[in-house]
Order: sequence, then C-alpha cells, then structure tokens
Amino acid sequence: MSASFTPFSHVVINLARLIRPDEVTFSGVNSTLPMLACLLAKRAYDFDFTWLNVAGGVDAEPAGAIPLSSGDPALMHGSAAVFANEDFYDLCTRGGMDLCFLGASQIDATGATNNSVIGDWHAPKVRLPGGGGSAVMMPTLRRAATWRTEHSPRTLVNELFFQTAKGNLQNVVTPMAVFDKRDGRLALQSHNPAVTIAEIQKATGFTFDASGAVPTPPPTEAELSALRSLDPDGRFERDAAITLPEAVA
Amino acid sequence: MSAKSKLISLAEMVAQIPDGASIGLGGSFLHRGPFAFCRELIRQDKRDLEIIKASPGYDIDILCRAGAVRRVRAGIVAMEGNFGLAGAYRKAVESGRVELEEHACMTLVAGLRAGSAGVPFQPVGGVHGSQIAKINGWKKMADPYGSNEETYLIPAIRPDFAVIHAHEIDAAGNARVYGSPHWDRVMTRAAKTLFVTGEKLVETDRFREQPELTLVPGFMVKAACEVRQGAWPGSLEPEYPVNYAEVQDYVDEPGAGIERHMSRAPEAQG
Repeated sequence: MSASFTPFSHVVINLARLIRPDEVTFSGVNSTLPMLACLLAKRAYDFDFTWLNVAGGVDAEPAGAIPLSSGDPALMHGSAAVFANEDFYDLCTRGGMDLCFLGASQIDATGATNNSVIGDWHAPKVRLPGGGGSAVMMPTLRRAATWRTEHSPRTLVNELFFQTAKGNLQNVVTPMAVFDKRDGRLALQSHNPAVTIAEIQKATGFTFDASGAVPTPPPTEAELSALRSLDPDGRFERDAAITLPEAVA
Repeated sequence: MSAKSKLISLAEMVAQIPDGASIGLGGSFLHRGPFAFCRELIRQDKRDLEIIKASPGYDIDILCRAGAVRRVRAGIVAMEGNFGLAGAYRKAVESGRVELEEHACMTLVAGLRAGSAGVPFQPVGGVHGSQIAKINGWKKMADPYGSNEETYLIPAIRPDFAVIHAHEIDAAGNARVYGSPHWDRVMTRAAKTLFVTGEKLVETDRFREQPELTLVPGFMVKAACEVRQGAWPGSLEPEYPVNYAEVQDYVDEPGAGIERHMSRAPEAQG
C-alpha cells in the first residue's frame, strides 16, 4: 500500500513537483510552504535547479532547524553569493525567472490574484498584506505558482475584490487539488485521492475543466523523508493547521 | 586625521524628526529593521508620520498601534514568521486613520531609484494587468526608441529621512551590513537626510580594510548612533535571531497596548 497525503503534505509536495531541472526558481516573503517545497526538492529530487530566496540566498542549505520566517537570514546559510531584492526583481523583469511562488488571498479562474483587500479597496472590510512582488513578477516571469491552505469559494473565486496581479500564473496547489492553466483558464490536473472531483467543484467558486484529472500520484519515500527532515517535530504542519473542508474530511 | 564625529544618542537622533515627516525604514519584515529607532519615535510621541518601506511588519504595526502614522507607502505588510497579518496596521487602514499608497515592492523601489538618481520618474517592469496602477494613477509610456513596448513610469520618491540598522558603524557614519542589504542601498540613496543606527561601534580602520563591505559611506550620513539589540525583537544575523516569544508577547498584549512591550525593549533596560 502506498503512502497517503496529509492536507499539509499535499500542498508542500505538489508545490515541489512544479520545480523543473536546470531552471531558476524563487521563493519569497510570507511563503513558508514554498520555502519548504524548494528545500524538499533540493533534498528529494535527483536534479539541479537554482533556488533563489528573498533572504538573498542562492542554493542555500540552512544548517539545523528550518526558520519559521521564509525571509530569515538563516536562508543565506551555505549560499556562495548574496543575490538581494533588487537583483532578483531585475532578473525577473528582464526575463530570467522561470518559476516563482507568489502568494494570493483570492484567485480567479483566469489565474488573476487578489492580495490587497476583502471588500472595496477604498473602504476595505479586511486590509490584506498587499501583493508584494506579484504585480511586477506575475506578468514578467515564465510560470508562477500559488497555493491556498484554505480551498473554498471565498479563496478560489468567480470574481476578485481587487486585481492585484495578472499574468503567467500557471498552477494553484491546495490541500484538495492541483490546478494547471489550460487555454487561459485553471483546469483540474489532479485531486487529493481523499476527495472527489465533485467535492472540489463544490469548494471552488469558479467552474473548471476536469477532463483528464487524475488522483494526485502518492508521495514517494524520498519526498516524505525529505519533508520529515525539514519538519521533524511537525511544527510547520501544526502551524499551517491545514484541514480539508468539513463535509469532506 | 579623523573625520568629525557624527555620533549622537538615539534620543537626539529622533528629536531631529519633526511630526509629519516621511521616513524610509531599512530591513525587511522581522529582519534587521531599525526597530529601537521606531520605539524611540513612539517614546517621543511623534505624530502624522509617513512610513516608506517595501516590506514593513513589526515597525509599521507598532507605530500604527501608537497612533504615530498618517500615511504608509508599502508593497507587502505582515508580521511574518507565522504571525499573519499586522493587526494594528490593518485596523488603522480599515478605519481610514492611516492612508495607504499600495505598491508592488519593486514599484516602490522604482520610485526610490528615481529619487536617488535625481530624475522625476523611473520605468519599472511588469505591473500590466494590476489595478494598483489605476489606484495610484501611474502612467505608462510607449518605448520612444521604436519597439513601442509599454512601460509603467513610477514617480520619484524622496523620503525626508531614511534610517537603517547596520551591523557596524564608526564615528564618521560609515555603515557595514553583512548578508543581504534587502532594499537598504536604494533607500539610503533616495532619502534627503540619512541616519544610521549600528549594532556595534568600530574603528574606521576596520572599514578601510574591506571598503567593499561598506553599504553607506559616512559622508552621506547626517548622524549615527550605536544601539545594541537595535533590531530587537527581530533578527540581526548572525548576532541574534528573531525573538519569537517577544513578538508573540507584543501581538498578545491586552487592549492592543504597547506599554508592557516597550518596557521589555533592550534600550529601556537601565
């Protein structure tokens, strides 16, 4: 019997699976799960890629415990260079960034994102963190991926409250699903084997093409072992507190 | 011959900042921010400040909590390190007490680059498809050299003051930073008046040995101040990591007060 996903490992491992050999991949601030995904890929996959992080690290390998903050200077450890903020943004806008993990509070079917407000921008019900790099990076990188720990009609929406960024968002990973953009719209690529496609549709605010969707291939021993090495006491998994919707779990 | 000393106390430094000033802050989120400086702004009861920083967190939150801020120009604001949204900042913007100029981090930096170069605006990549451009009234321009590619132009930003916290300073105001400079280089060049706080005061000869490690040459600096634990409760690697227990204690202080937290700050200890 093969291993199964937890909601947390479904997100981290499927983010890691988006990383491709010999590409330049970036993880940013407020991005704990992509930080873990990049480290997981370094440890579990038998190929080279360049990992840039917002702390300025190039292929860093933190010694000891992984920091809680994805911008922690500990993510410089083992780096042979400092590649700081202006450097990686300029790299991106001149076309040198292959994959970036960019956070989003809301995502619509076209892959546009809102990280600015819930409600009207000028009279916000909730003021969100702001887009950070996304407005500049999303249109200029090759592929962006985002993640949501809550897969619900208020995070995967038919209409954004505000369009913080639009561009080359290619993938969305949640505890339930992996979406891949096809013909300009997010389509279901795979689903957590613990949930059905109907359950994902019910939890998603937009309709999507699910033709060809398969159960997400189970985690490999190498992936699980790498994740255990990154989160030996389960701190990240507990802090992330990711659950499947109640109707499903 | 040694240059004239620029060393003053933290209280004297902050006393030079008038109410209503715009201040660019160094560091990023919980890392190497001039946080002791921010707390001194609160002790001196500064009001109506405009805070400029691509990725503020603890600093903007505590300044909002103290009622010191009128306006923010920022790209992304959060406490980070699993603390989530910056609650006091969030409430201040939602209630309208604080006005936000929302940026993408690099658009703020484009404005600072324009400011540091002494030109009225700076082109920036991306932004296409973002409603942030409309909110801010940013204009775009077709490439006048033939490609016709459209590029957004961000108006210059010149903070009245910039303050960064460095690992080492000397009496002449030279400042050395180890690890990532974050956005501090452009911030220090764009500001009209530059202050540096430093974790450790060292001799100028140490700077002369490796001038390539000097982020800010002293001649640019108006005043400098040694502040031990100046980035507390954030990190100054490799000297000290984020003090998560103290950040949590700040977040949890009852009634959104700051007295307990302020009294625990290193610079408040005898």
